[in-house]
Amino acid sequence: MFNATLYKREMKGSLKMLIIFAAIISMYVAIIISMFDPEMMETLDSFYEVMPELMASVGMSAGATSLIGFMISYLYGFILLIFPMLFCILRGNSLIAKYADNNSMVTLLSAPIKRRTIATTQLLVLISGVLLLIVYTSGLEIVIAEINFSGALVISELLKLNAALLCLHLFIGGVCFLASCVFSDTKYSIALGAGIPALMYVLQMLANAGEKAEVIKYFTFFTLFDANGVVAGESAATMGVLALLLGAILLYTIAVTVFCKKDLHI
Amino acid sequence: MSVINVENLTRDYGAGKGIFDVSIQVEQGEVFGFLGPNGAGKTTTIRHLMGFIKPKTGNCHIHGLDCWKNSDKIQKSLGYIPGEISFFDDMTGKDFLKFVSQYRNIENDNRIQEMLERFELDPKGKIKKMSKGMKQKIGIVTAFMHDPDILILDEPTSGLDPLMQNRFIDLIAEEKKKGKTILLSSHMFEEVERTCDRIGIIRNGKLVTTDSVETLRKRHMHTYNVHLDSPEAAKNFARDFDGICNGSEVTVAAKQSLETIFMHYYGGEKNV
Repeated sequence: MFNATLYKREMKGSLKMLIIFAAIISMYVAIIISMFDPEMMETLDSFYEVMPELMASVGMSAGATSLIGFMISYLYGFILLIFPMLFCILRGNSLIAKYADNNSMVTLLSAPIKRRTIATTQLLVLISGVLLLIVYTSGLEIVIAEINFSGALVISELLKLNAALLCLHLFIGGVCFLASCVFSDTKYSIALGAGIPALMYVLQMLANAGEKAEVIKYFTFFTLFDANGVVAGESAATMGVLALLLGAILLYTIAVTVFCKKDLHI
Repeated sequence: MSVINVENLTRDYGAGKGIFDVSIQVEQGEVFGFLGPNGAGKTTTIRHLMGFIKPKTGNCHIHGLDCWKNSDKIQKSLGYIPGEISFFDDMTGKDFLKFVSQYRNIENDNRIQEMLERFELDPKGKIKKMSKGMKQKIGIVTAFMHDPDILILDEPTSGLDPLMQNRFIDLIAEEKKKGKTILLSSHMFEEVERTCDRIGIIRNGKLVTTDSVETLRKRHMHTYNVHLDSPEAAKNFARDFDGICNGSEVTVAAKQSLETIFMHYYGGEKNV
């Protein structure tokens, strides 16, 4: 079910990207958390009054008075959605489709290793990467928040929030991994693996932008990730997260099955 | 029972492309030459044997195991040189060989060293920067590193210089002596003629003929009796043309090269 040699090689392949994304996230998390300041909040709220659509479209809303509310507004609307998503897109594509596209899948298949084992190992590499990013982010957020505003961050709320974020990215990873397994051509694998999440994100931006466009929210899976709801412990939000997790598992199962059954002209 | 058994394998890609009703049996210890021009269906047949593609009609077995369902079990004792070599470009040759040997779970790496020496390969550089011949050598080492019983070699000497081609042919002869079963696809007539027991010629996806090298040759051999002026001249003639001298009569046989025989099947009657 799992090949340690392959896992090691692929984790090494993820390392550079993980470091780059962790560095970007670190920078934003550090800057944004240190910006938390009730006075500043007023300024931002006044921005919101001037151009509510623009602010809302990037996930920023008025009235975030607690630290976690502030973080949800300014981190969980863009930075922490986009960068782990980029990781899923880039890694998802290179874990299966790239090997099939450039023929080096031959090396992996001309060995006494089942296809299922190869696909599962590659999937675990993707999941490990996402998990590392989110765990790192959580640790960083706690540390930065404690340094700047000791006691202001309720850690259990943050952990709940990040567990939900993890489920969202596991789902996005599932979309990318499925695209990678279905297409043996990186052109199509990238087109779908990147296209679907990007389109969904744009729809989410539109849905946030105005009341009239709100109906769009039913067409994007980002709606299932309701950060404020999760922190507040709303059951609808929990259901959404659960749906993402189940969806992720379903996508993984389909992806592995597709890879096991497909013809590889390599 | 045959070690490699392909039965009525058909894969239609449309527009006359693909393979049609191909049946091949390769016995234990036999070297089977799979000869055909580019695009004739050699690689498609081999992809079925490797379990990369699922047979639409017909079936293929190795050691009685279904090539699609049990490819992982078959691969344990199978060595493969792909027709189109493509490894992990980001690795050095050395790292790649180490990776494959760990990935395959091979404990003994003496064989890798032996193969590297035989083909005078220094695998230190990045694979991306390697020449075609060096990549091919890496492919050969990878295929033989676990000392497999069955070898499926898809145009194994492409990119190798004549010296290395000869070394490869010697290697095949040694493996054959050890009782290995080998399927060698090629469009190099000399290589096939020198190494194979039997040859299957494939053209436009159809197996045109399967016969021993000797039979194929005999079928296309013509003998002539030549009368010369003196026994002296006859002797010289016999020596130069590899004939049998009998007084001033010399019998010479015009052996067609496998290439000519091949052209007969490949190019149609007009090429004979």
